[in-house]
Amino acid sequence: MATRWFKSAATAVAILSATALTGCSGTSSTDSRPAGEPVTIEFWGAAVGLEKSADIFNAAHKDVQIKYTQISEGSAGGYAKMLNAVKAGNAPCLASISYNTVPSFAASGSLEDITEYAKDSKDRYSPAGWQLSSLGGSVYGIPVDLGPMALFYRADLFQQFGITPPTTWDEFQTAAETVKAKSPDAYMAPYPLRTDDIGALAWQAGGNWFGTEGDAWKVSINDEPTKKVANYWQGLADKKLVVPEPAFDTAWYTSLQSGRIVSYVGAVWSGALIAKNAPGLKGKMAVAELPQWKKGEHASGNRGGSAYTVLKGCKNPKEAAEAAVWLTTNTDSLTSMIKETGIYPAAVSGQKLPALTAGSDFFANADKTADIFTTAAKNTPDKWVFGPNMTSLSPKMNDGLKVAASGQGTIPQLLDTIQESTIADLKSQGLSVKE
Amino acid sequence: MTAPTLSAQQSVQPGNTTIKPRKSRLSRKTRRAALLFLAPFMIMFLSMKVAPIFYAIYQSFFKTERTGLGFGESKSIFSGFENYLVAMQNSDFMASFGRVFLIGIVQVPLMLGIALVLALLLDSAFSPFKRSFRLIFFLPYAFPGVIAAIMWSFLYQPQIGPFSAWLSAIGIHVNFLTDSTVFFSIGNMMTWGFTGFNMLVIYSALQAVPGELTEAASLDGAGWWATSWHIKIPAVRPSIILTAVFSIIGTVQLYNDPAILAKVAPGISSTFTPIMAAREQSAANNYNLAAAESVILALVALVLSFGFLKFTQRKGADS
Repeated sequence: MATRWFKSAATAVAILSATALTGCSGTSSTDSRPAGEPVTIEFWGAAVGLEKSADIFNAAHKDVQIKYTQISEGSAGGYAKMLNAVKAGNAPCLASISYNTVPSFAASGSLEDITEYAKDSKDRYSPAGWQLSSLGGSVYGIPVDLGPMALFYRADLFQQFGITPPTTWDEFQTAAETVKAKSPDAYMAPYPLRTDDIGALAWQAGGNWFGTEGDAWKVSINDEPTKKVANYWQGLADKKLVVPEPAFDTAWYTSLQSGRIVSYVGAVWSGALIAKNAPGLKGKMAVAELPQWKKGEHASGNRGGSAYTVLKGCKNPKEAAEAAVWLTTNTDSLTSMIKETGIYPAAVSGQKLPALTAGSDFFANADKTADIFTTAAKNTPDKWVFGPNMTSLSPKMNDGLKVAASGQGTIPQLLDTIQESTIADLKSQGLSVKE
Repeated sequence: MTAPTLSAQQSVQPGNTTIKPRKSRLSRKTRRAALLFLAPFMIMFLSMKVAPIFYAIYQSFFKTERTGLGFGESKSIFSGFENYLVAMQNSDFMASFGRVFLIGIVQVPLMLGIALVLALLLDSAFSPFKRSFRLIFFLPYAFPGVIAAIMWSFLYQPQIGPFSAWLSAIGIHVNFLTDSTVFFSIGNMMTWGFTGFNMLVIYSALQAVPGELTEAASLDGAGWWATSWHIKIPAVRPSIILTAVFSIIGTVQLYNDPAILAKVAPGISSTFTPIMAAREQSAANNYNLAAAESVILALVALVLSFGFLKFTQRKGADS
């Protein structure tokens, strides 16, 4: 018996340790230092090449030095590592996290309120970025980059089908019908399979999924604008004008190149990915302003982007916040980030940098792309608030969108389900919800 | 026939024979030396294996309490079995057990059947190129699981994989990644990956079957089939049971294949298997619930494998 018990026990251990054993490493940046020595700010992020910006900072500063450590992508364990480090009391001072993670970090008590050190820098950033780094009137992060949205399309195929880039969502649907009529195997765009797809489009339409009122969260995932977006895309799906193919997957790039998918509604960073993974499309792709709900408007949504936050327990929150502001507004640092990591700066000054406006010659209208994204960033509504449970909401909604895409249920129905489950989720965590 | 005696012999499990260890009279010096040699293993084993189990069990009895917007300090409070209740009431988590059960009940017998047949074929006297075939059958197991899963995810995708194109050329239109076909796709990946390993375990057991037995059988006029059925299979029964237990545990813990396929398969949700569901909770920063789900998963694996062992032991005693 003993040996068999042992084997099974070992199995149990293997399962348990998979979830219980989590990496706790990293040294504390918070220890006391002898007088005269510079403050060292430890900085964790997933971005490649960020150490160059840290070097630029260090060369320009004597009393504060940044030590950058590249860790894994947030969803691949990076965020878990940060949260564990906060729990263990050896977290770095600065951490780069995506906007949609800021509230869940804040609501788990893992972020320092840096309002007093940061509030004077507000006007240096796009309003949408600043809004995404703040919650309930307090500042929890310094905005780094944004993901203004646009329409990426196959200019050659549009010309072949006789379509001009749609300026409204009505025109987008007419164009989609033309595509189907001219080429039965082709689709106007991929089906919105991700929470972010729906979120960014609802954002453009003026929706807002979360908010805070006093000491309680407000949840409105099925608000009017989001429902409008959901109904619209459900309509396209019902007419088989869009196809459920996960964006940025190998098959998706193949479909873009073969002309099975002729356009994509995406954020500014999609451009670099398409250029890298579908090089055959050079000169064939172009960028247009996001179609509008009202003709003549220029509204856009935001997808992606991140903030530099100060983690709980940091002994030098003032220096950390100031370093974050410097990194995200200094011309040299931003130029390096644009070149190394391909960000679209949240700092207003950064959006005018030559490194950005030069544009990529991958797109047929390379001379116009920078303007399109600047206009989009300027016209992104600054009311959007992410909730404290995006880490559980997103996978749930992704699952639901997959199911809806396969024809079971609809996107508007899914919104109602997610609205309900989110309220229950927040309440079960002990958070107050205003209904 | 010799079959009954053989299986009786084989089914004597070490656990059934109770041999009390003699009280050892080791000198203090020897004992200290033994401890010293054991220390590296014990330290790693206790800290990396045993401690996490107890920490997970401990965590599963607590919950994080927050108030208002949650921005202040949160505190951990004892919650008894609340996390277990929440996990049991979580339809996604419970459904994930149904899925692995469904996959396991078809895939495990099928895979072990193939493994047994391959092992018997390799063991038969006439099979040519024994070494090459043994290596070829075993090769898939040598692939790192994640890489194999990525490869399969390419092969399955209708836009880039070859299978869909070949099948549609002969008039069969099938998508391997829908919510119904994905069970077969995952079962196929598991069978491809692990048949070779199980075959090897059974094959090595076959090597230990005394040559006199098979020789005597063939003198008695038993053909390949009769020899296999009456002599070889009863002789390797413990190995088959062992591979079955491993396979049951492996299926309950299914993770790699569906997690990789989920990126491209519409039919795979983020809580498709129990481990994926538990991982989902830890990704959502709900470590207490993740711990409770992990403990439940471990218990289910324990009960299933022990249950299977008990069941086969009784069957073995009956025959």
